Amino acid sequence: MNDGLAGEHQADAMQVVMIGLGDEKFALDAGLVREIIDPVPATKVAGARSFVPSVINVRGNVIPLADLRIRFGMPQLDNSADTRIVVIELQLDGEPVLVGVTADKVYEVTEISQSDVQQTPRVGMHWKPEFIRFIAKWREEFVIVPNMERILN
Amino acid sequence: MSAMDPTEVFRQEASELFEVLEGALLDLGQRPDDRELVDSAFRALHTIKGSGAMFGFDKVASFTHEFETAFDRVRKGEIKPTQELISVALAAKDYIRALIEDPQSTDDIIGEAILDDLKRFVSADQPAAPVAEIIEAPSRAPGESKQAGWHLYLEFESHILRNGSNPLDLLEDLCKLGPCFVVPITDGIPFLDEMEPEDCYLKWDVKLHAACHKDAIDDVFMFVQDEMKLTLSPLEHVEAPAPAPLFQLLDEEPAPAAEMTAPMVEVAAALAAEQPIAKAEPTSEPRFEARSETKPEFKREAAPARREEAKQERGIATVRVQAERLDELMDRVGELVIAQARLTQLAASGSDLSIKMIAEEIERLASSLRDTTMGARMVPIGSLFGRFRRLVHDLSRDLSKPVEFVTTGEDTELDKTMIECLADPLVHLIRNAIDHGIEDTATRAANGKTAQGRIELAAVHSGAQVLVTVKDNGGGLITARIRAKAEEQGLIAAGAVLTDHEIHQFLFHPGFSTAQTISALSGRGVGMDVVKRTIENMRGSIDLSTRPGEGTTVTLRLPLTLAIIEGLLIRVGEGRYIIPLPAVEECVELTAEDERSRGRNFLNVRGNLVPFLRLRDIMSSSGSPDRHQKTIIISTGETRVGLVADQIIGNHQTVIKSLSKLHSDVTIFSGATILGDGTAALILDVAQLVTLAQSKVEKQHISEAA
Repeated sequence: MNDGLAGEHQADAMQVVMIGLGDEKFALDAGLVREIIDPVPATKVAGARSFVPSVINVRGNVIPLADLRIRFGMPQLDNSADTRIVVIELQLDGEPVLVGVTADKVYEVTEISQSDVQQTPRVGMHWKPEFIRFIAKWREEFVIVPNMERILN
Repeated sequence: MSAMDPTEVFRQEASELFEVLEGALLDLGQRPDDRELVDSAFRALHTIKGSGAMFGFDKVASFTHEFETAFDRVRKGEIKPTQELISVALAAKDYIRALIEDPQSTDDIIGEAILDDLKRFVSADQPAAPVAEIIEAPSRAPGESKQAGWHLYLEFESHILRNGSNPLDLLEDLCKLGPCFVVPITDGIPFLDEMEPEDCYLKWDVKLHAACHKDAIDDVFMFVQDEMKLTLSPLEHVEAPAPAPLFQLLDEEPAPAAEMTAPMVEVAAALAAEQPIAKAEPTSEPRFEARSETKPEFKREAAPARREEAKQERGIATVRVQAERLDELMDRVGELVIAQARLTQLAASGSDLSIKMIAEEIERLASSLRDTTMGARMVPIGSLFGRFRRLVHDLSRDLSKPVEFVTTGEDTELDKTMIECLADPLVHLIRNAIDHGIEDTATRAANGKTAQGRIELAAVHSGAQVLVTVKDNGGGLITARIRAKAEEQGLIAAGAVLTDHEIHQFLFHPGFSTAQTISALSGRGVGMDVVKRTIENMRGSIDLSTRPGEGTTVTLRLPLTLAIIEGLLIRVGEGRYIIPLPAVEECVELTAEDERSRGRNFLNVRGNLVPFLRLRDIMSSSGSPDRHQKTIIISTGETRVGLVADQIIGNHQTVIKSLSKLHSDVTIFSGATILGDGTAALILDVAQLVTLAQSKVEKQHISEAA
């Protein structure tokens, strides 16, 4: 669409943290991200929903660790040297909630332009459309901007 | 440091004053003759008025002023505080509170109506009052009210200026009562090099030429009376040294003199003899004579009581701290305890003796710091109990059931967060007790009970728990009716065998109400389940006991604090869990015999059958179980349940962290904590596990029966 504007700083640009899950790249709104930490031992919570299977200790706070791969039906890889936990802060029912999100890899903090937004295709997607805020183009790649509130609720 | 919004400070202060005022008013209903109560109500009103005006709450100030004026007759002892009057006064207090907290929500009309009511009550016997006064007057001590003025001698404590009081303002207030002739006494002023610039060295000799009541003068010095010496003696009219503004007053003065009645004649005559001298050279001698007559009496009635009060207030020095800061402090202490646990673990694994010693030292310090911090968060439960007196007062009036409300154990201390959480459940319980528990007067009379019902609210320490009980002497629970209702709602099969205790548990079922009519107060079936849930969220439990015809007692068992508990650390498969130690009764080994009887999940503990749960199944642990399984027997109230774990690790100081919203669907854990190695561990919710075990047992019963 507006390829010529890509990379240029503009008003509708959005700062994102680019993470990799399986073979896909996801762009998390940088405004949500509190910190990125190395994997820590997680504690399984019996009876919890499958996409928030455990809790972790982040600086003295016990926070849930969410696994987006389960929500997107991706295979769960074992932790590798690249695995990180991205701590994000969400508003759930009007209250701030800290959540850790496992990422297979964290690439970089970058900007995507909202004018690069692609229409979420109705077909050819095996993900629930409500989990996706929009799909944007970044360096000739399609990245998914997930709707974290919906995914975790 | 954040700057405090002065308006906010006023609001906080006012809300404390309201509590004082309400308490005093309610007490006054019971002890109408207690002067101290009237005075404390008045002081509260006066402060609200004063600070209200200072912070721009003009409406508050003007309404309070009217209130004060109307109530003044009560203070003068001219009328007795009746129940009706107190109800109106409480309404007035509520209105002032509304004016302060949410001025938009109120209407002037309400205020006017309240004032009208107040005036009506106060002036109900108005026509009679002057007569009473006239009759009373002669019997009063001479000089109490019928003299031409007062001679005051003021001596403030030297630090008064540092406390922000300004004697000059007080003198100005005094001048408002009537013309004053003020002479400063400069004897006490030291040499310049010895002078503290912040001290008050001046004393004053004041002649107040106004026939005002002694109380009016006391009012002026109400807030500084502990920091000053005030000597009052009546002043005879003739003494007026006649500065310019006094002339108009002098015209009036012969009148009071003529009015002097028989008992005063003596004094008047004595003074009359001295009049010419007094006029010529206004020395203070004759006044001192007069003073010696009245002073002892004045001192006897007022001074000792006030001294004592002042002493009490000074005995407990308090600092007002924002609640948030206490919470933060508790968080920091929690983190410290976690770090200390890590250090202890590290030290234990090494062989360095000096590190071990330091670790022990820090462990000791951390635990005493924890206790101190928790202590600082402890608030006597009396602050909460006070609120319910109003509730009982209003309910008892609305339902026309006279109720006596007794509280005990007000100084039992609880974590402040707990106190806040307890308010709503207790409101429900007290409402229930009055609405359902206490019978109406006719029924009580028929059953040979006193007309006045009785509700007792008590708090007492019991080990690591606090028991709060709400007890009424009403009709008690009607088990049959609860049962009928439970059957009607399909909660139990008709004819099922249940103990009374089990049947009473249905009261905690959501949407369960046996009240035949729904009143504005209770009977909607919302309440008891909320009470139960709130109490369980605080890791407490609730017990009901009842005797037909004698009343019901509801007992809330609460942990002392919400923040840190003693826990028992156990291991189940790979995971480690905490069981709150107060719930643990004993630990036994799961014998081979228990192990064999797989179908029957019962333990034989010294002849008692105790159902047990295999935590491995609940946590869906992987791997094979340890060979010697351990059973931890936990109990809530009467019920005992065994939990089977792989290993019991030991005691653990557990800093409780709540689970996030994303895990709100998980019920078997009440929270989480952080272990010495930095991993999170979950805290088992004992009450939920017991319920789970019981439902399993019931299922088993059903399948066995089938």
